[in-house]
Amino acid sequence: MSEISITDFRNRARAWLEEHAPRRGGGAGPGEAGPADLAAQKAFQASLYDAGFAGLTWPREYGGQGLTHAEQIAFSQQARDFALPVGAFVIGLGMPGPTILELGSEQQKKRYLPKMLRGEEIWCQLFSEPSGGSDVAALITTAVRDDDGWVLNGQKVWTSGAQYSDFGAVIARTDPTVPKHNGITMFIVDMHAPGVTVRPLKVATGAAPFNEVFFDQVRLPADAVIGEVNDGWRAAVVMLRNERVAIGTMAGPRTSPLSYDSLSGLADRLGTSADTGLQRQLAELYVRERSVQLFGQQLREEAMAGRDPGPRGSVAKLAGAELAIFASLVAADVLGPAAAGSDSRDVRAVLTAMIAAPGGSIAGGTNEIQRNIIGERVLGLPKDPGADRGTPFNQLRVGTLRKN
Amino acid sequence: MALLLNDDEEQFRDSVRRFVTERSPLSKLRELMSSGQPFDADTWKQLSDLGLPGLIIPAEHGGAEAGYGVLTVALTELGGGLVPSPLLAGTLAAGTLLRLGDQQARDQLLPGIASGELIATLAAGGAGTVRAENGTLSGEITPVLNAAQAEVLLVPAADGATTVLYEVAVSAPGVEITPLPSLDHSRSLGRVRLSAASGRRLDGDAGAALEFAADLADLAIAAEQLGGMAACLAMTAEYAKIRLAFGRPIGSFQGVKHRLAQLHTSWELAHAALRDAARAADERPARFPRAASVARIAVSASYVDAALATVQLHGGIGFTWEHDAHLFHKNAISQHALFGGPGQQLDRLTAQLASAAG
Repeated sequence: MSEISITDFRNRARAWLEEHAPRRGGGAGPGEAGPADLAAQKAFQASLYDAGFAGLTWPREYGGQGLTHAEQIAFSQQARDFALPVGAFVIGLGMPGPTILELGSEQQKKRYLPKMLRGEEIWCQLFSEPSGGSDVAALITTAVRDDDGWVLNGQKVWTSGAQYSDFGAVIARTDPTVPKHNGITMFIVDMHAPGVTVRPLKVATGAAPFNEVFFDQVRLPADAVIGEVNDGWRAAVVMLRNERVAIGTMAGPRTSPLSYDSLSGLADRLGTSADTGLQRQLAELYVRERSVQLFGQQLREEAMAGRDPGPRGSVAKLAGAELAIFASLVAADVLGPAAAGSDSRDVRAVLTAMIAAPGGSIAGGTNEIQRNIIGERVLGLPKDPGADRGTPFNQLRVGTLRKN
Repeated sequence: MALLLNDDEEQFRDSVRRFVTERSPLSKLRELMSSGQPFDADTWKQLSDLGLPGLIIPAEHGGAEAGYGVLTVALTELGGGLVPSPLLAGTLAAGTLLRLGDQQARDQLLPGIASGELIATLAAGGAGTVRAENGTLSGEITPVLNAAQAEVLLVPAADGATTVLYEVAVSAPGVEITPLPSLDHSRSLGRVRLSAASGRRLDGDAGAALEFAADLADLAIAAEQLGGMAACLAMTAEYAKIRLAFGRPIGSFQGVKHRLAQLHTSWELAHAALRDAARAADERPARFPRAASVARIAVSASYVDAALATVQLHGGIGFTWEHDAHLFHKNAISQHALFGGPGQQLDRLTAQLASAAG
């Protein structure tokens, strides 16, 4: 792809965004997705699709534009200045979509991908379970063969967008007599099917951005399998890798209450900024924030140059999670006694962000899991000889041991 | 592609890396430690032939005019090999002169620095002050890079409330230079004591030149530190793969694996920050001071952590004189202290952030 056509593409994207998309910081953000907001998001995604800016790197026969990563990056860079109302589609297009593209059947690609791109159908991802956490492969939701299909039973947790999703990519145990990674299958589940129950999950901040999803005798047709039966772990790894790169290289909004800019401004207003110790902490926060940003930029440049970031997405994810924790500690010093209680809106926003900070070090694989990945796949250190390797799943202990 | 290495930089990195492996391995540093020599004259000659002392010096003064990106790439490789040389001293002296604008000093000193034949050093980066009175200098500065090998000193001094810079020949009366026992075996340091010493007062804005020299010191030392840190990580990860305990390689234990993963993460962030600072120096000078501070702070303390981990994760053997771990530990401590220790680094960035906001 030549420089000229990229420039041309960038200019077209910019012009379209200027005309159709709201500017960042111009009022309400993505928000909690009420019915009205959802309708607006669907309308926007449809117009994005019709203008030729959805599914840039996806093949044309499935509704994509058949372009390269260079256009994708050019578009993302332009889009950073705008608050695109597309939050409901981020998961589907970032995770199940690319996975179906890579492993799905021809019929699945034709049936699902164009509607996903046009925003007509919303998708969620159903991986985590209460019993598993970071050990996703220890999942106990089952899918059992029945006539020419399957019956799904079990519970998923931390599912974003389940309350308004039409479909989900779910992984379930299909053979408990083999080691845990070998008996998992990925399915497409209709979220409106009988036996699917979605309940909001309230988190530490008091908000409910996630759901619990219960499956009770949910029937799945035979053609709901993504990839091969009992080869679902491979599909899950593809999806998790897409997730990590997405989280790690996300250009964080400058307006986060825990950013250097926000906290140094707040320190000025609260009169705590003259303290040398605090100034040094803020300077260190600036260094960490800036270097995490620069590393994300470097990964994007590498992708543009055709180099696969591979497991280094975990470096970005770990660094981002630790930055949030560090910022939450600096924030406590900036606030002083106001950290214990305040009726100022600014202070309340910082406190909420402080309580939300540990979330990033759990979601998408905990920091410990990221360190394993970096140690093993970047530095080449030997794997931990896990007790679960080689043992049939039905002989493994999973979940939480009862207290004595 | 602002942060990725360009072709010139990649090529230069490879040739300096090959040079370090073939001509200046750590065994060479051990020889110097035994003989008491500050650096190997042949090695310095060869580095000079590669053009290293003149990388940031314009062609009109005999330099390679290759830029700061190439300079940092070279310093990273030399830092990784703990190669003793007066390169940092000469680079900081040259950077000061380039920013100062004293034409006579440039014409007389830069060609010699660029060819590696003249060793010059900036008498700054440590403690102490010098006063300028009636055209002579008095005071003490310590430690100063390669003071005992230098022919020419660039001395910052206070003339009343004004900061000035003097060029002082080490042979001038009233100049007393004492070599110091330096913690880092790869770094030669000395004390400069001046008693009514005479020199030539240099033209130009000395304050601005010294600010630039401090930024350049941040950039150059960060590059060396990044190389030292990479060497520590490579050495320790390699050992963790082959050293067995409790029936398995120690690198399979999370206590070891996670510490290395954490250090690698710090290294990646610092590397991105260094690339950004080098690019700023070459292309966007107004952004350089802040970017240089970020790069230095991002690596400086992390290198000390990495060096400590190198000693400790090797276990007993890492604590012996024969093992290379202590060479890096000493280098890391020394590098963390020169031209602004941890507190000063942060205070400098605070001032830069405030001035940009104001």
